[in-house]
Amino acid sequence: MIYYLASISLILIGTYAILTKKNLIKIVLGLSMIESGVNILLVSIGYVHGKTAPIFSNLSMKASQMVDPVPQALVLTAIVIGLAVTAMALGIVIRLYDHHKTLNIDRIRQLKW
Amino acid sequence: MDPVLLIALPLFTAFLIPVARRIWKPSAEVLPFLTLGFNLYLMISYIPRALKAPIVVVIANWKPPLGINLTIGPLGLFLALIITFIAFLVAIYSIWYIRVEPKEKYCMLCMMLVTGSLGMVLTGDIFNMFVFMEITSISAYALTAFIRDRDGSEAAFKYLMIGSLSSNFVLLGILLIYVGTGTLNMADIASKMPSMDPRLAMAAVILMVVGLGVESEMFPLNGWAPDAYSMAPAPIAAVFGAIVVKGAVYALARMIYTIFNFHSLFYFLVIMGIITLLIGEMSALRQKQIKRMLAFSSIGQMGLILVALGLGTMGGLVAGLFQILNHAILKALLFLAAGYLVYHSGSKNIADMDGMGKRTPILALSFTIGAFGIMGLPPLNGFWSKFFVISETVKSHYIVIASLILLGSVIEAVYYLRVVGRLFFKPAGENIKAEPLPLSGFISMFVLVLAAIVIGLYPNWVMHLLQPAARELLDKQFYIHSVLGQ
Repeated sequence: MIYYLASISLILIGTYAILTKKNLIKIVLGLSMIESGVNILLVSIGYVHGKTAPIFSNLSMKASQMVDPVPQALVLTAIVIGLAVTAMALGIVIRLYDHHKTLNIDRIRQLKW
Repeated sequence: MDPVLLIALPLFTAFLIPVARRIWKPSAEVLPFLTLGFNLYLMISYIPRALKAPIVVVIANWKPPLGINLTIGPLGLFLALIITFIAFLVAIYSIWYIRVEPKEKYCMLCMMLVTGSLGMVLTGDIFNMFVFMEITSISAYALTAFIRDRDGSEAAFKYLMIGSLSSNFVLLGILLIYVGTGTLNMADIASKMPSMDPRLAMAAVILMVVGLGVESEMFPLNGWAPDAYSMAPAPIAAVFGAIVVKGAVYALARMIYTIFNFHSLFYFLVIMGIITLLIGEMSALRQKQIKRMLAFSSIGQMGLILVALGLGTMGGLVAGLFQILNHAILKALLFLAAGYLVYHSGSKNIADMDGMGKRTPILALSFTIGAFGIMGLPPLNGFWSKFFVISETVKSHYIVIASLILLGSVIEAVYYLRVVGRLFFKPAGENIKAEPLPLSGFISMFVLVLAAIVIGLYPNWVMHLLQPAARELLDKQFYIHSVLGQ
C-alpha cells in the first residue's frame, strides 16, 4: 500500500511541477518525475507478498515462487521510452535557449492565439 | 508474403536511409518511395481476404491471448491503406520541397512515423499499441522542430509536453486494465470486461479517453495543434493531419466500441465532438496565417468525425469512416498546396497571397478543389461524407447537433471562400515568384485531386469496403471470435 501512495504522490508532484514552474529545465524534470512515478506504480502492482524476482537464478525454481513478470516487461519498455522523450525534450530546450537566451517560459510566448 | 512486412519494412528502411545515403546520394528519396509503393501493393493484395474475416497474424508462434498478434481486419486495412497512400504522396512531394541539408533525418523520421502509425492500426495488443503510439509521437515531436527557427522549437516543446503527459495517462489506463482483467490482448480484454470492477473500468476509461483525446484533438486538449501544424514544414503538417490524428481516432474508437462498454461514452463523444467542431471553426475565422487557419479547420473536421463515431449506429460508423477517408485526402491536398503557396509568395499570411490565381493557376486550382471538398460541394467527395454524417445524426434524433453541424459548415464556407476569393479575384502583389510548379509537387497534388473527384463521383466503390469495417467495430463478438477462436 505504501508503494502505491508513494508512486501516486510522485506523479502528482511531477504534474504540479509541469503546471506551475517557470523554468524550462524544471518543467522537463517534472515530466521525468511523472514517468518515474508511473514506472514505480507499474512494478508495485505486480508484487506478490513473499515471492521473489522472476529470474531463474537456480534451475529448480518454479514459476509459483515468482512475482508477476508482465508488469516488469512493461516497465522496461516504458523506461526506455521515457528516456527517449526526456532526451528529446532537453534537446529542444537547448535549441530554445540558443534562440531566446532565456529559460523563463513567460518570455517565450511568440505563438499566441 | 508475411503481413509483418507491412510494419517491418518501413522500420528497416528508416534505419537503412542514413547508411545508404553515404553510398548513393539520391537514395534518401528513392527508398521511401519504393518501400511505400511495395506496402501499397501488399495491402491491396490482402483486401479480398480481409473483407471476409480478419487476418490474424500470430507472431513467434505464441497464440493469442498469450502472445502479441496482428489483426488485419477490414477496419485496420482501410486505415492502413489511407496512411500508406498519403505517406507515399508526401514522399513524392518532399523530393523537391525539402532542400535543407539534414535531409536523411527528415526521411528517416518520416519512415518512423509511418511505421508507428501502421503498427498502431494493425495490432491486436493494447501495450503494443502504446509502444507504436510512442514511436509515432516521438517522430512527430522531432519533425515539428525540423525547421530550426525559434517558433518551430517552441511549438515542438508545447507538443512534447502535452503529448508525453497524455502518453503517461494512457500507460496508467493500460495498467488499470491489466489489474482488472489480467491480460493485455484486446480481444481477451473485451471478453473479460464484464467481470471487471466497474469503478476500476471507469477510472481506466477516463484516463484512456483523456490520453487519446490529446492526440485526436478533442476540445480542451488540442492546444498543441495550431502551433504544431503551422510551424512544421507543409508536408509534415499534411502527415500530421492525415496520419497521426487518424491513428489516434482509431485507438479511441477501438477503446470505446470494442473494449469498454459504457453507453454514456457515446453521448459524451457527440457532445465533445460538436464543441470541438464549433470552437475549431470559429477560431479559424480569425486567423490571418494560412497554415494556422488550416490547422483550426482540421480540428473542426476531427470534431465532425467524433460526432459521427459517437452516434453508435452502423450508419453513423460508416459515415464517420468515410469522413476519415475524405478528410485525409482533402486536408493533405490543402496542406501540400499551402506549402507551395507559402513558398511562392514568401510569407505565411493570407494577405500576401492575393492574386496568385493568375500567376500560378494550377496551384490555386488545387487549393480551390481542396477547399470546395471540405466545404462539401457536390461533385467532390466531401459532399457525400458530410451528407451522410448529417443524415445519420438526424436519424439518431440529435436534431440540435445536426443544426449545429450545419452552422459550423456555414462558418467554414466563409473562411475558405475568403481565401479562394483573394487568390483569384484580387490584383497580384509584387513579390510573387512566378516559377513553374515542380514536377513532384504537381504529381502528388494531381493524384489527390483525382482521388477526390473519383471518390466523389463513385462513392459506392468505397462504401463496399466500409460496411465490413464498421461491422467489425460495432460487433464485439465477431471481433473476439475471429481473434481468439483460431
